[in-house]
Amino acid sequence: MKAMKRLTALLLAAVMAFALAACSDQGNQPSSTPSQTPTSSAPSQGPDDTQPSQAGAEFTTIEPGKLLMVTNAAFPPYEMTDDSGNVIGIDPEIAQAIADKLGLELVIDDIDFDAALISVQENRHDVMLAGLSYREDRDLVLDFTDKYATGIQVIIVNEGDDTIAGTNDELQLVDADGNVLEDIQIGVQRGTTGEEYCQSAHGTEHVTSLDNGSLAVQALINGQVDCVVIDNGPAQEYVAANPGLTILKAKYVEEDYCAAVDEGNTALLDAINNALNELIADGTVQRIIDKYITAD
Amino acid sequence: MDLAYHYELWRSMMSSGDLDWWQVFFVRFYQAFLENGRWQQYLRGVGTTLYVTAMALCLGVVLGVLVAVIRTAHDQQRPGRRNFLLGLADLVCRVYVTIIRGTPMMVQILIMGMVIFSSSRNFTMVGALTLGINSGAYVAEIIRGGLMSLDPGQMEAGRSLGLNYIQTMRFIVIPQAFKAILPSLGNEFIVLLKDTSMISVIGGQELIKAARDVINRTYDAMFPLIGSAVIYLILVLIFTWLQGRLERRLRQSDRR
Amino acid sequence: MIDVKDLTKSFGKHLVLNGISEHIHPGEKVVVIGPSGSGKSTFLRCLNLLEEPTSGTITFQGQEITDPKADINAIRRQMGMVFQHFNLFPNMTIRKNITLAPVQTKLMSQAEADEAASALLRRVGLEEKADAYPAQLSGGQKQRIAIVRALAMKPKLMLFDEPTSALDPEMVGEVLEVMKELAQEGMTMVVVTHEMGFAREVGTRVLFMDAGKILEQDEPQAFFAHPKEQRTIEFLSKVL
Repeated sequence: MKAMKRLTALLLAAVMAFALAACSDQGNQPSSTPSQTPTSSAPSQGPDDTQPSQAGAEFTTIEPGKLLMVTNAAFPPYEMTDDSGNVIGIDPEIAQAIADKLGLELVIDDIDFDAALISVQENRHDVMLAGLSYREDRDLVLDFTDKYATGIQVIIVNEGDDTIAGTNDELQLVDADGNVLEDIQIGVQRGTTGEEYCQSAHGTEHVTSLDNGSLAVQALINGQVDCVVIDNGPAQEYVAANPGLTILKAKYVEEDYCAAVDEGNTALLDAINNALNELIADGTVQRIIDKYITAD
Repeated sequence: MDLAYHYELWRSMMSSGDLDWWQVFFVRFYQAFLENGRWQQYLRGVGTTLYVTAMALCLGVVLGVLVAVIRTAHDQQRPGRRNFLLGLADLVCRVYVTIIRGTPMMVQILIMGMVIFSSSRNFTMVGALTLGINSGAYVAEIIRGGLMSLDPGQMEAGRSLGLNYIQTMRFIVIPQAFKAILPSLGNEFIVLLKDTSMISVIGGQELIKAARDVINRTYDAMFPLIGSAVIYLILVLIFTWLQGRLERRLRQSDRR
Repeated sequence: MIDVKDLTKSFGKHLVLNGISEHIHPGEKVVVIGPSGSGKSTFLRCLNLLEEPTSGTITFQGQEITDPKADINAIRRQMGMVFQHFNLFPNMTIRKNITLAPVQTKLMSQAEADEAASALLRRVGLEEKADAYPAQLSGGQKQRIAIVRALAMKPKLMLFDEPTSALDPEMVGEVLEVMKELAQEGMTMVVVTHEMGFAREVGTRVLFMDAGKILEQDEPQAFFAHPKEQRTIEFLSKVL
């Protein structure tokens, strides 16, 4: 499979060898070899920091002095774009705080969620913060930081629709009597854990994957799906913006939100973890979350 | 009439359902295009769309001409005098055209963005490059078709006068073929312009990305999407008009 | 001037020319006639290598043009060719049609070529058409221009491939007139045609081709008066 991939790549590359050079000149293309000069071996010497982060080994970033973060800015309030196209939200602010601690300049790229997962593995980006839930199979290809928020996946339905009552142990949607709803169509965001859970619980034919949460909610409004399974944060926003939708009391599943770096990049992982834990300890993370999600 | 005032006023009344249809229409329109200067986002998107189209067109035409000339020259060799290098170049060109025409645009974009240029963060340029490489294969076939469709007597007349192959192509065959293929080339350009919408899947920041950002902020899909469609349509109509003028101008030379 | 030895040409399995040997001397006006499919056009097109012979040799002024190393472009500059369908360049003015080759092959400067074009156009009475495009001319005018275009290269030999076959009958005369004048000036000519009158009047030799071979040849008077072969007699009885 890998060989096949390389072969195709080679064929295409041969055809456009000259164009390649042109592109990499223009792009601020990073060298993917991690053997660059260590940029900021020591964390920031902020005077008010109780204890500097103890990076065990010196970490490197893809571009010296910069922390390249990738996200999918279609997941309010964790990440979204403002009206000038800048990425804002909980994750960008936490990432900014981490970058400040590490003495790095934060750079954010906004691409599709599944592309973002690949991007960190391919060393195009240093770190991914995208309301990313910890999962064992993701842990095989990525290294996760400690948890910084709890992601609760909820079920959005049309108001007055009481066919769905909650979930059973196998994460199947059930009615009030606990019977599994066989004939149901669930809207999810492509590449999310909700998509995977719903697909394994109900089968792919009962799950409609949309490019982002907005489109999934639009599909629910249009009646193309019966419900949407999505994280609680954005769900609150969607329901607030679209009269006629409601969130079920029963949660779908609870998960840990973590940042992720490429598998094996322990030095960077440790550095980020240290910074993150300091930010959690001093209440910064909670302040950022509260700013976007009004407690209820 | 103060648009912003009415927008705020009617928007707060929207959930109660007391508005006329045109008031709802206004609110959604305002929200999708005018609020906080969102039209600038679309405008930037259009800018990128046109830029990517122009880049891809240049690359596509260069590649297309190159491939078409190599393949035509190879096919028009005098029998028994095959050039090995030309044969090799022809093979490369045929593989290129076959792969590009045999795989979906979307797959090519994903492969370029996630496999080949998996470490480049210049998403828009990668998108333009992909589109250019894709377009090159189609342009090559259009040009080759144009060269083949021309009366072989034109080539014979040029050669019988002692002009060499390249001179005959340059002065006689290509100018005539260009006129013949202009409609197809225009069509390819239009396809290219619309295909730029696909580069948003690898992070290209063009018109559809702007529309999707607005959707994510307003939770309303209809107006940004229909608005984008209208913008594409206007761009295509402008180009079609320009193309028509160019064609009429070229025709003047031979029908008077 | 041209020496053809054992010339054969086949398209795939179809043998079009079957062993032709012929010699054409300077100043001759050779007229090639024969039924359609006899290979006469292919024979003519082999003479300037528009068709690549399958085997055999062609020598032009002592130079073997069928040799792969021969500079075919240089040789073609000395042989003018006139086509059945004129093959003027529709995207250029008449003047440009005529001057393109002499200028591009560095035979003349643009000014010299323009001068030569005007003189040639005057000769065929089409001087006022210099800035017209081919689409604005009649068939007879186009063919006269095509002849002029070939002459602009100052060729030593002119090849005519059925020059009047695509013309309306009333235009045949004006083209043949130009060809006759050319013949009187001493140009060496090879003409594939169905115009028996022209063959009789202008030709110095008539070749009759059938099934890829030259079946018989003679001076025009003798040829038309006393054809020897059965196929020739049949053919002449149909066309005369």
